[in-house]
Amino acid sequence: MGDVMKRRDFLLDFSTGLPALALAGLLGGGARAAHAASGKPHHAPKAKRVLQIFCPGGASHLDTFDYKPELEKRDGQPMPGGEKEVSFQGANGNLMRSPWKFVRRGQTGKHVTELLPHLGELVDDMAFVHSMTTRTNTHGPACVMMNTGFVFEGFPSAGSWLSYALGAETDELPAYVAIPDVRGIPPSGPANWTSGFLPAEHQGVAFNASEPIQNLRRPESIRDEEEKATRSFLALLNREHQARYPGNPDLQARIASYELAARMQLSAPEVSALEKESAETHDFYGTRDSNPLIAAYAKNCLLSRRLLERGVRYVQLFCASRASGVDGLLNWDAHKTLKADYERHCPILDKPTTALIRDMKRRGMLEDTLVVWTTEFGRMPTHQQGTLGRDHNPDAFTVWMLGAGVKGGTSHGATDDFGRRSVENVTTIHDFWATILHLLGLNHQKLTFYHNGLERRLTDVHGHVIADILA
Amino acid sequence: MLVVRRFLLLVLPVIGAAAAEEAGTSLIQKRCLSCHNSTQKMGSLSLESREAAVGGGKSGPALDTSNYTGSLLWMKVERGEMPVGNPLPPAERSALRAWLEAGAPWSTPLAVQARARADKSWWSFQPLKIVDPPASPDAPTEWSRSAIDRYLYAAMRTKDLKPSPPADKRTMIRRVAFDLTGLPPLPEEVEAFEKDQRPNAYEALVDRLLASKAYGERWGRHWLDVARFGESHGYEQNHLRSNAWQYRDWVIRSFHADKPFDQMVLEQLAGDVVGKGNPDIEVATAFLVAGPHDTVGNQAEAAKRQQRADDLDDMINATAAGFLGLTVNCARCHDHKFDPIQHADYYRMQALLSGVHHAEREIVTDGERNAWEAKAKPVEQALSDARQRLKSITEKAAGRVTEIRKETLAKYRPPVSPRLTEETFPSVEARFVRLSAPAGAPGGIDEIEVFTRDNRNVAQRTAGATVRASSTRTPEANPEAYSETHLNDGKYDQRWFADGNQAVHVTIELPEATMVNRVAWSSDRNGGFMGRFEAAILREYVLELSADGEVWTKVASSEGRLPPRKDDQEHIVLLAALPREERETYRRLRKEIAEQEARLKEIPALPTVYAGQFRQPEEPAFLLKGGNVMHRVEQVAPASLSTLDGVMEGFTVSPDAPESERRVALARWITHSRNPLTPRVLANRMWHYHFGRGIVGTPSDFGYNGEKPSHPELLDYLASGLHHYGWRLKPLHKEIVMSAAYRQSGAYNEQAGRIDAEARYLWRFPPQRLSAEALRDSILSVAGVLQEDAGGPGFRLYKYTVDNVATYFPLDKFGPDTYRRSVYLQAARSIRPELLAQYDCPDSSLPEPKRVVTTSPLQALSLLNSSFVIDMAEAFAARITREAGEDTEAQIRRAFALAFLREPAPAELTDAKELVSRHGLRAMCRALLNATEFLWVM
Repeated sequence: MGDVMKRRDFLLDFSTGLPALALAGLLGGGARAAHAASGKPHHAPKAKRVLQIFCPGGASHLDTFDYKPELEKRDGQPMPGGEKEVSFQGANGNLMRSPWKFVRRGQTGKHVTELLPHLGELVDDMAFVHSMTTRTNTHGPACVMMNTGFVFEGFPSAGSWLSYALGAETDELPAYVAIPDVRGIPPSGPANWTSGFLPAEHQGVAFNASEPIQNLRRPESIRDEEEKATRSFLALLNREHQARYPGNPDLQARIASYELAARMQLSAPEVSALEKESAETHDFYGTRDSNPLIAAYAKNCLLSRRLLERGVRYVQLFCASRASGVDGLLNWDAHKTLKADYERHCPILDKPTTALIRDMKRRGMLEDTLVVWTTEFGRMPTHQQGTLGRDHNPDAFTVWMLGAGVKGGTSHGATDDFGRRSVENVTTIHDFWATILHLLGLNHQKLTFYHNGLERRLTDVHGHVIADILA
Repeated sequence: MLVVRRFLLLVLPVIGAAAAEEAGTSLIQKRCLSCHNSTQKMGSLSLESREAAVGGGKSGPALDTSNYTGSLLWMKVERGEMPVGNPLPPAERSALRAWLEAGAPWSTPLAVQARARADKSWWSFQPLKIVDPPASPDAPTEWSRSAIDRYLYAAMRTKDLKPSPPADKRTMIRRVAFDLTGLPPLPEEVEAFEKDQRPNAYEALVDRLLASKAYGERWGRHWLDVARFGESHGYEQNHLRSNAWQYRDWVIRSFHADKPFDQMVLEQLAGDVVGKGNPDIEVATAFLVAGPHDTVGNQAEAAKRQQRADDLDDMINATAAGFLGLTVNCARCHDHKFDPIQHADYYRMQALLSGVHHAEREIVTDGERNAWEAKAKPVEQALSDARQRLKSITEKAAGRVTEIRKETLAKYRPPVSPRLTEETFPSVEARFVRLSAPAGAPGGIDEIEVFTRDNRNVAQRTAGATVRASSTRTPEANPEAYSETHLNDGKYDQRWFADGNQAVHVTIELPEATMVNRVAWSSDRNGGFMGRFEAAILREYVLELSADGEVWTKVASSEGRLPPRKDDQEHIVLLAALPREERETYRRLRKEIAEQEARLKEIPALPTVYAGQFRQPEEPAFLLKGGNVMHRVEQVAPASLSTLDGVMEGFTVSPDAPESERRVALARWITHSRNPLTPRVLANRMWHYHFGRGIVGTPSDFGYNGEKPSHPELLDYLASGLHHYGWRLKPLHKEIVMSAAYRQSGAYNEQAGRIDAEARYLWRFPPQRLSAEALRDSILSVAGVLQEDAGGPGFRLYKYTVDNVATYFPLDKFGPDTYRRSVYLQAARSIRPELLAQYDCPDSSLPEPKRVVTTSPLQALSLLNSSFVIDMAEAFAARITREAGEDTEAQIRRAFALAFLREPAPAELTDAKELVSRHGLRAMCRALLNATEFLWVM
């Protein structure tokens, strides 16, 4: 509340005749800082922007990054103490090893599934958190929990918090862009990139390749000359109106918003013009892969880099979508046919993501960009009774981060021998976001917005920075 | 560092031991204690006392008494590891070091300091108090008439502010029309009002607007924000609630009819009780379940309890915040940190609502129910008789059934199975294999295999075979999900599904004529579905072969197979077991039951509304430690909040009393004449919508974290007004909009602006931007296409499809069926239409007592380029041609009159003429709809 008021006061300091450019800064650009009149982070930041990769459906830690030799040994045996366990879809059977081998990768010799050969190259840069926990075992609330810190819908997503705290580094693109998968939106849909009760300008703008922003283009029936004449007439109307009602900064802000819109119309199509990239780059990402799902995700990876390069603060890149009738087909929700499902999903994630990270590294972008890989929960070490898949597990999952401010080649926390529960340095989603905000120069307890009786935070009333994965 | 040490050595004896201790312990108090205290022992460490610090935590002693500066406490601080994420600034670091060097003097234990907070003496929990408005001899006449103005004027004078002059008539009619109806007035109405010289012209206008249907739509929409009303479940599946609109209509109807608010509270919490048999009232309980609800089931016990607790939390929050302005949900895990709301209060309220469940409910008049029962009763009776007779026959034969079960079943072939169904036949040459399912293939097929005698599957695509299905399900969101290619891809993971459950056939064409003798198929070869879909399976089939695809030879069918379901198998055994004479009776009864069941289905079901279901709770409510559903501490009875114990009597409902009594008691307590919160909160909401800002700037939080009232006496005057008017809103609306404060100019005044930029003291009328809905409705209205039809199912701005989860495809072309007021939009959660979302229409997942108003380039883009606005610019252009004829100047004048309610200025007229002559009327209309003047109420 106080911050909003400060901000309003700030706006009111302007008298008439201020150049539109200065207002543009206030509205949509670098000078925008809603959380504090200073517009500065709370302490010196290590990272300036974030790429969040999200694998919806509950990506199995046990078949990707959390190596459990004991699970391999006891494959087919009952899980000690867990014989009668009932999870999300029902009863569980015996322990089930991962269908794939884990192999040592990098200098650190970190075990990674053989199904992610490319991502395995990057382990020395990654900081893993193996002891993640969440509060629900249901996809919809869990996705919202991962992205907003609350199981309820209606709270702002992390990207919106950062847009609110730091604004964008450019006037010409939104501060926060969400890129849903070609297969569709994730569970809970736009609630994953909502601004919740934060001002609407902090909403994640959903990009797609054909039209980066809805209504960006002028309708085809309107020719260039007509557009110019209309906008010049509109400018006259707005000027006259403003002259009649001086002293209302909101009216000036509105005029500025039209100028900004015009600039966005020029720059947003440019950012999604992937054809400007070299053939070598396209092959590196795999945008022309014969598997259309790999190609589509690779294009989104390339688009992500272009957005981040041009000053977008937060890119939220989805790899998979909601379920649709068949578990595990469209996302990482491998209830019944783990092997077939992950042989479909892992190659989509693997090469394009690796290419994106390596490309960013090559360009020096990882100096001040943070990359995080997330999912909403993990999976059970047992097979779901009568199936060859795994049920949901909110008590253990893995995420990783790399790039600016992150100590590569580290692992924080651990699960038990089978990966059923997080037992060492148990980490919450609030800890995870507290750490990310910390890297961006923000104290998670100070980044607040008043709503319905509380100074709300991304980290609710919890969260501790995970110090040992910081460089 | 050196300097500091010397300084301390010199100064210590002078400033004394207490100050030396203070220098260090105050830092620990400030920087460490919030995490390291006796209740919240991070790392098992408390730093409340010297002993505790020496005792240490998980990582060992924090203070080392033999080497203070080598203490863990110092190491952590020096390395910047503590406090986590917030390292000590150099000056504090030096002070801490100096304190340690001085031997860490620490005699007085520390305690986490209680934060400032409200207790029961907080202003909003006090009884309403009427203080006569102070007399202000210097006040202009129009500011001395009403009580409202006298309160405001007196407050204004304390800040050295003066009111603005009255606004002109054109400004006033536009302002009050938007405020009370959300729609612009017609140019003819403006003209008539300007000409009306009667002293009560404005009052007559207000009366007319308050009586209009549009008032209910405008103010109903405000309440729907507070009630977090949405028309889909939200979360992953997000299915539509196609029968939730009745609540929206109830809200609009109630506001329109000026139903007393205490009655509205009662109906929303207990309409099923007080309006039994009266659907117009009963539907109001939809308020309780208007929030999101996760429809994905769950088998895990903790998760089931959590889902239920979260549903109730949403109801508690909506009820407490909406009616009382209390953040009761902050007491879910512990006592409220700022307000006198106990941890137990949360669970008292939970107990009051614990009979409410998310569901739709039959809501009908007694007449409708009787008529339905008159039709259904005889059928139900016949059905029950037939079942009874069947049962007695079956029971008599029980012994014989056991005896002959095995041999009877042995006469049949094994049933079809989702895991594998096979048919073997004498080798025959074929090019085409056709599997027909006359009753459909509900379980789908993951693979069909055709084998040669040497067990070679020749049906696979890789072997050159092709497959065709007579129908295939293609969900729009994922058209390939059930593709026929799954039938012969050699994998058992994905299934082909037919479109619907009618007759279907699948044909495999082999690359060449081949000798074959076996066909196999399955719907769940891997057993992944755990037999859950045994019943949904292809049961009846005919298998045919052909050499040319035209002449077919049947080689196998489902005839002679046991039915897959156990009770169908039992039926076969029973028939064999019955004496011949009873067999006929048995068959006849079975037929009759099937017929009666069909007849019962044919009677149209009674209408339902998503208004919740009510059941007596199976167990009492428990106080949960830390809000953890698995950590029950003690039983809590359904009762009122202790918060208001000082001003009114509370209540407790016996846990054995019918569930409905709890909700009635809650409603009566909320609207009790001594409850000071409800009328204050309501009056403040009204003020908030009239002036764009409440007297309390946090309309759903009257606690410590909320704002204090800018005009407490005025607030109590308005709240008492609600009591005085018998909880009717319209007389209070009238009092407010008749005030001089409301009728003053909105013009800026630099001097006043410097003192009170936001005009909290109402030295001017604060200009407001139209709400998202008012903007869209105004565009429709000015374009002359707004449909007048009110109520009923909402219109959609998306295409809706369901395939387990719901998918909403935003439309980019809208027909006239969508040209209705925005309050009638079917409001699916998360799926806000672009234009409305960008202009700050809330998502309705949480109550929204106060919309944020933003300005962004995305707003400009949607107002410039969306197909809706272009269509409306065209309709607007057509309208002015229709109404003003062919003369360009007349057209322009008409357009300005409709959009801005005024004549164009000379410069505007010249430029408009130029624009219209070169690019037509549409270009000008598009500009007018984008103009600030169109969007702002001054």
